[in-house]
Amino acid sequence: MTTYSIPSKQRTFLLAGIIIGVLSLVGSWVFDSQEFHMRFWTNFLHNSVFFTGIAFMAVMFYAICNTAWAGWHTQFKRVWEAMGMFLGVGLILMGIIALGVVFGWHHLYHWADTPSVEGDDLLQLKSAFLNKAWFLVSIALIGVWYLFAIKFRNRSIDEDRNGGFDYKHHLRTRWWTALFLPVAAYSISVVMWQWVMSIDAHWYSTMFAWYSGSSLFVSMIAFTIMLLIYLKDQGYYPNVSMEHFHDLGKFLFAFSIFWTYLWFSQYMLIWYANVGEETVYFKTRQDDYPLVFWATLAINFLLPFFILMRNDTKRKFGSLMFASIVVIFGHWLDFFQMIKPGAVHTAHELREGHGDAVGAIADHAGAHGEAVGQAVEHATSTFHMGYTIPGLWEVGTFIGFLSLFLWVFYAYLGKANLVAQNDPYLSESLHHHA
Amino acid sequence: MSATVSPIREPLIQGKKSYHDITVDLTRSTEQAPSKTWWIAFLISVSLLMFMIFCIIWTIWFGIGTWDLNRTIGWGWDITNFVWWVGIGHAGTLISAILLLFRQKWRTGVNRAAEAMTIFAVMCAGLFPVIHMGRIWLAIFIFPYPNTRGTLWPNFNSPLLWDVFAISTYFTVSVLFWYAGLVPDFATVRDRATGLRKKVYNFLCFGWTGAAKHWQRWEALSLVLAGIATPLVLSVHTIVSFDFATSIIPGWHTTIFPPYFVAGAIFSGFAMVLTLMLIARKVLNLEEYITLGHIESMNKVILATGTIVGVAYLTELFIAWYSGYVYEQFAFFNRALGPYYWSYFGMMFCNVISPQFFWFKKIRRSVWFTFLLSIVINIGMWFERFVIIATTLARDYLPSSWSYYVPTWVEVGIFIGTLGLFFTCFLLFTRVAPVVAIAEIKSILKVAGDQYVGVNTEHHKQVVEDFKKADSEGKAYAADHHNQESH
Repeated sequence: MTTYSIPSKQRTFLLAGIIIGVLSLVGSWVFDSQEFHMRFWTNFLHNSVFFTGIAFMAVMFYAICNTAWAGWHTQFKRVWEAMGMFLGVGLILMGIIALGVVFGWHHLYHWADTPSVEGDDLLQLKSAFLNKAWFLVSIALIGVWYLFAIKFRNRSIDEDRNGGFDYKHHLRTRWWTALFLPVAAYSISVVMWQWVMSIDAHWYSTMFAWYSGSSLFVSMIAFTIMLLIYLKDQGYYPNVSMEHFHDLGKFLFAFSIFWTYLWFSQYMLIWYANVGEETVYFKTRQDDYPLVFWATLAINFLLPFFILMRNDTKRKFGSLMFASIVVIFGHWLDFFQMIKPGAVHTAHELREGHGDAVGAIADHAGAHGEAVGQAVEHATSTFHMGYTIPGLWEVGTFIGFLSLFLWVFYAYLGKANLVAQNDPYLSESLHHHA
Repeated sequence: MSATVSPIREPLIQGKKSYHDITVDLTRSTEQAPSKTWWIAFLISVSLLMFMIFCIIWTIWFGIGTWDLNRTIGWGWDITNFVWWVGIGHAGTLISAILLLFRQKWRTGVNRAAEAMTIFAVMCAGLFPVIHMGRIWLAIFIFPYPNTRGTLWPNFNSPLLWDVFAISTYFTVSVLFWYAGLVPDFATVRDRATGLRKKVYNFLCFGWTGAAKHWQRWEALSLVLAGIATPLVLSVHTIVSFDFATSIIPGWHTTIFPPYFVAGAIFSGFAMVLTLMLIARKVLNLEEYITLGHIESMNKVILATGTIVGVAYLTELFIAWYSGYVYEQFAFFNRALGPYYWSYFGMMFCNVISPQFFWFKKIRRSVWFTFLLSIVINIGMWFERFVIIATTLARDYLPSSWSYYVPTWVEVGIFIGTLGLFFTCFLLFTRVAPVVAIAEIKSILKVAGDQYVGVNTEHHKQVVEDFKKADSEGKAYAADHHNQESH
């Protein structure tokens, strides 16, 4: 029985990472040029959403593979089971955001500010969905995902001990994984609207949940590749071969293109129709956040596309590792540009005195682009550390959350056999050919 | 000799077939005289096709006024049918390209017929924009070529023009893909034929000899085509969705349209594959090659895509409200409760509710129920396009121009006629080419033939034991060693 044990050196390393994260959070709280500790809260939300989402995607892909009778991933399915366990931490992290919404600790969400809503017809209409109760529901959904993740993992581990050649465990799990898929599909939409899209409370796009979801999916695959390379390097998973990496590389390649497809579809349709309520979103980003906006496209599309197009680059650790690191950073940056502009705008609105000055919706939309300009007025360029591009505190916070994510991952990975021994697809996975 | 296959997979080829049995079974439909059923079906199809030609001539002769389109409703049954047929034309390439990349072995049972269906569906689809032009002789204007019309060029900013490129490319690649797959099978038919028939099939298979080099090139070609076809599957219906979503018409302009159209297309394509294959497997005695397992897998795809479409419908509905944009809100209110409410509820029932029956294994494996539901879904997906097109156009920004649209007999005739065209082509196809890909079925015999299940299960157990032994000793399991033993 091969199990993973976390080396003490690595433990120290991750602990240092977590400390860097805590210090960065403290730093962004203390040394923020904006009111309302906006930098702290946006960073907290950004990383909580990102890593919770990755954990969710691991569970979702696990469920998809299981429902679709996939066999190739069986050897390392424990990696996804362990990644999914981060949902427990995600529940706490997003729970803190939710408590902040309820008790008014932060002003991340324009709609959560009662005086703003009073002077704003649109927010009044949306208050049926954008309210504290619904936000709590969206947090509860993480709990639902977590329960499914625990269920999958427990059954899988129990199969190691009590499973036989009748495969009852697997057949029952398949039922649960199939049930999870519609639950996941609907809930990820609600959650993405609530957590991220509603930061730009006036703006809307039917594509948004799928788009941001695909971003998380690509990141999850990239993490899987990195973690497997690391584990192999440590001498684990001797039978996870280049064939498996080739397939993971194909997923990284294909879904990077898929993400780009959704990016382009959303952008192009909004650009083409040129409706002010919609274009304002991209206008803000192009005018005030040009570097981040275009960088995400280059990093998340051009690099993986050209790096992974060839056959051999999907079968080499160097190129796979490089592509994965780049893509994780790129999608993290993507969430950065989804979250920061709207929050900055909200901060500005609150500072200017609660919405009533800009009561009319039309005014509002028009003022939007300008407002951000003012919010960063003291910066002479569009490079405003922590708001228009990530600064040191952002990178530090990312390192902290990443370390926490890995800590939880390794802790859970170490609690079970690395390979699910009684899985009915084990033989296929051992003899896999891409 | 055994393969490494999980013991919980069910066999995909039944009846303990040998390679020769497969050849005989699958070439039979091209070698025997057609049955009486075939003739009846063929005559009905050709009659409908003739009626379509009559209706088209009628349209061209008297003008597009013979349709009930008006200034408000410029697109009616024509474009509804166009989108419906294009959507159906997605399953073939999905099965042959994307399922190939995902190594789904069950695709071998249905890929050939699905690809053929794709081609015929795209032909039916392509007809509508062309006759919708009214002055059909000016159809040449859609092609951008250095011309004698001065500076008159097609509008490259228009998604309608992108459609021309998207669909013609898709058609070309689908035909190539389909034909490439047919080459070794035509050779099989040729090897059993004599006289002129032998010569014809020898020509059709480019003198295929089955040399290792032929197979190597053939496989390389298949892979390249699969690589090209995969983005094409997504792009075609994406561009069709752009026809609507680039506009500023409430109910049309929504960013989710591209992926939602693609999901809907796969959904309707699979429904049509099922409709056809359930009949074909019965008439051509293919039950051992298109098993209940195949049907179940396809029903799962239908359930998955139907639910994705359901998520998209509800997303649209929710965001229409959430947008706070009154016109968008009205568009959806009108869809559900306006004059065409029946089509909206028809769509919701057929596309979102009815596939949910497939949660039950019994229903997934019931031929009759599957057949019925596949027809329901075909109807539902037609309703979807009708809802998007007619319902939206009937209530535009100016209440004085609100209208209600009912098709004339000419429009109905052309639609029914395309069914005739579709089935005529499909029936001819079953006569000249093997409906199930012989070479591909043979390639999975050792892994998925029912006589190998027991052997493979034993092998699986052996592998698992060897793995556990190696693992407990802290060693790597030697897969290569096993491979040598087993092949």
